[in-house]
Amino acid sequence: MAPPVAVSPLIKTARYSALIAGIIYGKRRYDNLKPIAAEEKRIEEEEKKVRDEQERIAKLLEGWPPSGVRYSI
Amino acid sequence: MAQAVQKLIAKVPTLVGAAVTYSKPRLATFWYYARVELVPPSPAEIPKAIEAAKGLVKSYQSGRLGQTTVKDAFRNGLVATEVLMWFYIGECIGKGGLIGYDV
Repeated sequence: MAPPVAVSPLIKTARYSALIAGIIYGKRRYDNLKPIAAEEKRIEEEEKKVRDEQERIAKLLEGWPPSGVRYSI
Repeated sequence: MAQAVQKLIAKVPTLVGAAVTYSKPRLATFWYYARVELVPPSPAEIPKAIEAAKGLVKSYQSGRLGQTTVKDAFRNGLVATEVLMWFYIGECIGKGGLIGYDV
């Protein structure tokens, strides 16, 4: 087996600082995105409720007015 | 059906044993290299790293970068890409998932 290579300190510091920077960035972005997504979900659910209600009403009103009705006297 | 499940459960210790026997030498090789190559920098090495970074800036300013061979430039590019990938691994750890943010 080839002996392990001695890695330069610059590369080592760069790697681990990139790792820590990535962890911090990921955590911050997640905390940033979470309330935005919750808000969107809430709005979507409210709109869905309104839409479901309208669909329910539309279903009830199906076949109204009945065909063949005279509109004039 | 129950018999097949029982036979499978009886095989699990052998499977685990086989997995351990397979992975032990490979883990040993990995540890042999990782102990030297993947360790974080000790506090004594950080000033050396800052010195090397300053040296890089100086060589950029003195225009010596035009004299790097293609082979050296390719190798440095690969090393820089690897360092960049560690950032993305950190991001995956920070966001708690592999693909996308779990919101």
